[in-house]
Amino acid sequence: MKKNTHLFLALAVVLIMPLLMNSGSLASEVLIFGLAAMGCNLLLGFTGLLSFGQGIFFGLGSYTIALTLTRWPLPMPVALVLAMVMGGLGAAIVGWIAIRQKGTYFVMLTLAFAQMFYFIAYTATGLTGGDNGLLDIPRPSITVFGQTLWPLVTPWQFYGFVAVVFMVAFWLLLKVSRSTFGRTLLAVRDNEERAGAIGYNLKILKLQAFIISGVVTGLAGALHAMMTGIAPLSNAEYHTSEMILVMTVIGGTGNLFASVLGSAFYLLLADWLSTLWPRWLLLLGLVLIAVSLWMQRGLWGLGEKLWAAVGRKRDRASSQSRAPGEKA
Amino acid sequence: MSSPILLEAVGIEKYYGKFAALGGVNLKVRANTVHSVIGPNGAGKTTLFHMLTGTKSVSAGRILFDGYDVTHEPDHRRVQRGIARSFQVTSLFQSLSVRENLRLAAQGIAPAMAMNCWHPPEGRRSCAETVANVLSKLGLESFATVPAGNLSHGQQRRLEVGMALAARPKAIFLDEPTSGMGIDDLDEMKRFIKSLRADHTVVLIEHNMNIVMDISDTVTVMQQGKVLAEGLPHEIRSNDSVRAAYLGNMITGGKA
Repeated sequence: MKKNTHLFLALAVVLIMPLLMNSGSLASEVLIFGLAAMGCNLLLGFTGLLSFGQGIFFGLGSYTIALTLTRWPLPMPVALVLAMVMGGLGAAIVGWIAIRQKGTYFVMLTLAFAQMFYFIAYTATGLTGGDNGLLDIPRPSITVFGQTLWPLVTPWQFYGFVAVVFMVAFWLLLKVSRSTFGRTLLAVRDNEERAGAIGYNLKILKLQAFIISGVVTGLAGALHAMMTGIAPLSNAEYHTSEMILVMTVIGGTGNLFASVLGSAFYLLLADWLSTLWPRWLLLLGLVLIAVSLWMQRGLWGLGEKLWAAVGRKRDRASSQSRAPGEKA
Repeated sequence: MSSPILLEAVGIEKYYGKFAALGGVNLKVRANTVHSVIGPNGAGKTTLFHMLTGTKSVSAGRILFDGYDVTHEPDHRRVQRGIARSFQVTSLFQSLSVRENLRLAAQGIAPAMAMNCWHPPEGRRSCAETVANVLSKLGLESFATVPAGNLSHGQQRRLEVGMALAARPKAIFLDEPTSGMGIDDLDEMKRFIKSLRADHTVVLIEHNMNIVMDISDTVTVMQQGKVLAEGLPHEIRSNDSVRAAYLGNMITGGKA
């Protein structure tokens, strides 16, 4: 029961969004960046690695699916898998070099890769379209033997597809986080020196975490490109890495569902505030300050606290109402 | 004293820049003995431990363990050979439960298991037998689900030793296991270390001479990165140069 709580919470979010929201694109975006934030969380919350390289994997996913769908006649699911492979490959390269250092220098290495990737994407116009990005990415419907199984024409139709992919990915990531591997990552996060001293090869553990993170983030990038129909240079920009990190931290680290909360909070707040005030990012700064100062376990931690407080109040109320009866 | 030699270190040197932390240390440790390394602060005891367990690499010299040359193997590889260590400054997984700490340590000798992304560490993957065994040896059964960071200092020191024990090593390296312990816990720790000799070889750094003189089979005295003397406890206690190096009275602190 408790084991599946998070899975049910994720399912609830997926089912509730169409009821409450007008924009299917915004709802899709929440799930897509939820995926990216979960990939980031696996590194930050489970392994203790602060990576600014997530935008690389996101960008790789976007470009890969754009190239395959516009230039090669590959079926869409195959293109998605290819995007995941590219994301994982990018993460393997970045990870393989970055994990040679710890702390500040590790962060600097991921940052350096993010900058380099941006300029490569900017320069390689033949592949990436440079400043213009890749345009007119088709969104082919899902067909089996020529029969359209699931059209992906309207935003809400696409949302349905994203929702299924999201739930499968969420379930798999949950499985990973609870596996022997996930539990060993927690040890690395807590105390790297000891984890090495009791027999674990930190480099291989971190590399595997990186690759899984890259695969998920690549998937998110690909879905994003399909949603918007373009693979813009901004998907490969440092800002994308930063946004994914901020979502992860606001949601709460070390908990996968929290990343979905972080993504939803960030995107819905942005959607609402940007209509009121063009400088809304300033307010997001205040939220980040509040999280960093008072609620380091993020929105999830806040939710847990409130839940516990409600529980206590209910206990007290029930014990008070019972007390007179017991006397009598 | 006729048991075979399990660990042999030959001419171990360690330089930090130009400073020689270890200036050519030779050490032979026999199987199923308690071998203590003592010496004043800064003598290089912990550095020697780092070399022997692979926490840091040597500048020169050779380390043979159980017939293998492990000189250039990193620490996590040496765990597979049967070397486990505890740390002078408690080094646990603070947010994880006592049981999880020990499970991770027990699983460390089969680290390929840690790459399993699918199955949780339950059932036959939980190393339950080893963990239960160590928990009872440490007397921490009732604290199994408590996060390691919430234990008292004495309990954390015991768990620190237990982490090394959970790897079921051939040789267990204990770096000042009693540091900061209350007087009540000392005797228990002494008995505990002595009991390890049945199944393990114990290499011990310890400042408490009462413990060292009581439970050691061999004592190596270090000074300024070199071995000053080696012998049976009573030989060391009456060694003049050791007395001079070690402020004399400290070393006779234990009962005769």
